Amino acid sequence: MTKNSGELKILVIEDNPGDFMLIEDYLSEEHHALEIQRAENFKIAKTILQKTSDFDTVLLDLSLPDINNTELLVKDILAFSNGTPVVVLTGYTNKDYGVKTLSWGVSDYLLKDEINASILSKSIHYSMERRKVQHQLYESEEKYRTLFDSSPLPMWVLDRNTLEFLSVNQAAINLYEYTREEFMQMSVRDLWADDEARIEETVEENFHDFFTLKVRHYTKSKNLLYIDVQSNPILFGGREARVTQAHNITEKLKAEEKLRHSQERFKALVQDGSDLISIIDQNFHYAYVSPSVKNILGVDPEKIEGRNVFDFIHREDRDKIEGKIQYLGSRKSYQLPSYRYKDGKGEWRWFETIISDLRDDPAVKGLIANSRDITKAKVQEQQLRESLERYDIVAKATSDLITDFDVKKNEFQYSNAIYDIFGYSQEELETSKEWWQDRIHPEDKPRVIEAAKGIYERGQKILGIEYRFKCANGEYKYILDRSYVITDATGKPSRIIGSMQDITERRKYINAIERSNERLREIAWTQSHVVRAPLARIMGLIELLKNQRNNLDNIEEIIDNILNSSEELDKVIRKITIKTEEEF
Amino acid sequence: MLEVLIVDDDQIVVFIQKKMISNHEIAQNPISFSQAADALNYILEDQNHTKKKDFLILLDINMPNMNGWDFLKRLEAHPQKSRYHVIMVTSSIDAKDKEKANNYSTVRSFIEKPISAADCEKIKEISEISHFFETA
Repeated sequence: MTKNSGELKILVIEDNPGDFMLIEDYLSEEHHALEIQRAENFKIAKTILQKTSDFDTVLLDLSLPDINNTELLVKDILAFSNGTPVVVLTGYTNKDYGVKTLSWGVSDYLLKDEINASILSKSIHYSMERRKVQHQLYESEEKYRTLFDSSPLPMWVLDRNTLEFLSVNQAAINLYEYTREEFMQMSVRDLWADDEARIEETVEENFHDFFTLKVRHYTKSKNLLYIDVQSNPILFGGREARVTQAHNITEKLKAEEKLRHSQERFKALVQDGSDLISIIDQNFHYAYVSPSVKNILGVDPEKIEGRNVFDFIHREDRDKIEGKIQYLGSRKSYQLPSYRYKDGKGEWRWFETIISDLRDDPAVKGLIANSRDITKAKVQEQQLRESLERYDIVAKATSDLITDFDVKKNEFQYSNAIYDIFGYSQEELETSKEWWQDRIHPEDKPRVIEAAKGIYERGQKILGIEYRFKCANGEYKYILDRSYVITDATGKPSRIIGSMQDITERRKYINAIERSNERLREIAWTQSHVVRAPLARIMGLIELLKNQRNNLDNIEEIIDNILNSSEELDKVIRKITIKTEEEF
Repeated sequence: MLEVLIVDDDQIVVFIQKKMISNHEIAQNPISFSQAADALNYILEDQNHTKKKDFLILLDINMPNMNGWDFLKRLEAHPQKSRYHVIMVTSSIDAKDKEKANNYSTVRSFIEKPISAADCEKIKEISEISHFFETA
């Protein structure tokens, strides 16, 4: 038995045939498409309702022959009717009783004495309509409950006054690690990590309003979360509550932080780096110049962007750069020879540039030029060259032999004085240290080698030493060797620059003076001892003669002794004269 | 008792010194040695006697064989050295010799040849031996 669309299908539970007929009449008056079924007692009604569920309304008479308990009757019929609106028909005039049946769940109650066709029809339609609205409401609530429960966004409902949890969804449980039961014992304050005063204030100010707030929460295991809160006031089971969405932005913040770091790093590299980075387009115009140009050239990037690269390059250097750039495209990256570049003051700086061809890269569409200011190094190079030239001139100007010993290569370089002083021609020369050492006089060699240890083992920077050095003809010359040590980055000697002065003449002269001094010392000693011995005798004897004449037996002998001693003295003095006249 | 020894290889020097020593009443008969070794033997032998003497020794530095320094060295090794009073007598005193003499405890004084009357008076005033001349 199916009903047609628009047809009203009604079950009338009524034992009284007169009442049933009356109801049937009233219904027929208002409805054309109508199907009415009748149940004469509770039992039949139960059977029909169990079989058929598509009634639009059930009209129930409260006084049935097979049941006395009205409450049980109403509740059972409501249960069996399975959501179909039930309208109670009663003879009782007690209004309170009717209200009671309403509280059990019936849609309406009508007094039999007051029923007419329009009242009955209105009640039926009203009940059906209310049932429909109730059903929609139920469905809507169900829908929202599902949304709440299964939302991936953590959500909860709080008591608006106490901030205690009234409900939490699964996502919140997952995020915060508390169980639902634990949540129900907590207030949202238990989640707050800090900033309590600000949160309390916001919550209080927006008691009746929606608000958003950035807060920090702790999970149960004390992990810090950054949360974007959205909270709406609602009524929840009649209580003033708020429903809150907790958007976890911890990962997002971390990612943002990372990105910011990475951007800052990049910025630092490009802006504050000592390299000038630029992008040059097909026509050699600057498309981009890194802000570091301000530090390097004292110019704002905007002043350069758009201009031709070659405007800034020294006229004399343009050819070699152009020559190099011709090969563009054959290689991905190459280095340009150093060139001069005009800075903000119109002065020339030396630049060294690496060009990377990124014309195919849609993000660049040009050449990346990575330039470094090498002016300082260039100036140093220039100074070094001048210094070397000066050194060469000095080496030529001096009669000293200038040597340059490369420690690592064990190689001497000599100035031309090696021939002038020692007579060694280029063919006879060898450049090793051993060759040099073999030409040091054997008596001086151990001393020289010992002194050289000061350079190799004790970090001595300057060494001055005299020794004899063998000439090509086998003779020895005295030289004063003054060495200056150049060290490498690790402090080890790398080169030893030496100047060897021929001091043979001076040394000979000094030797002569030393010999002469020796002789003078001899004379002095002779004077004090050899000369004075006979003189002392003479003086002693004369003293005796003068003061002890009476005590002396043999005066003749004393006078003879005086004479002998005088002769001896004379001889000694003659000898000194001869020695003094000798050639030194 | 103080015995005076003259050690010098020059006989004229010895003659002069003997005269001066006796005339200035330092000793009546000074004994002389031309060899330092002989003088040393004489001194050491005397120390075997029970009654020990003090010796005033006028010592020349430059002598053949054992010279003055060698002689001093030998004396220095002897236990009785406090009884030996050496006066170095040399033809010329230089600072080096004086410095060298500081190493020998027996050296009391330096005299430059020839020995003078003043030198003789000074000998008597040397603190270690002055008591020998007080009564005389």
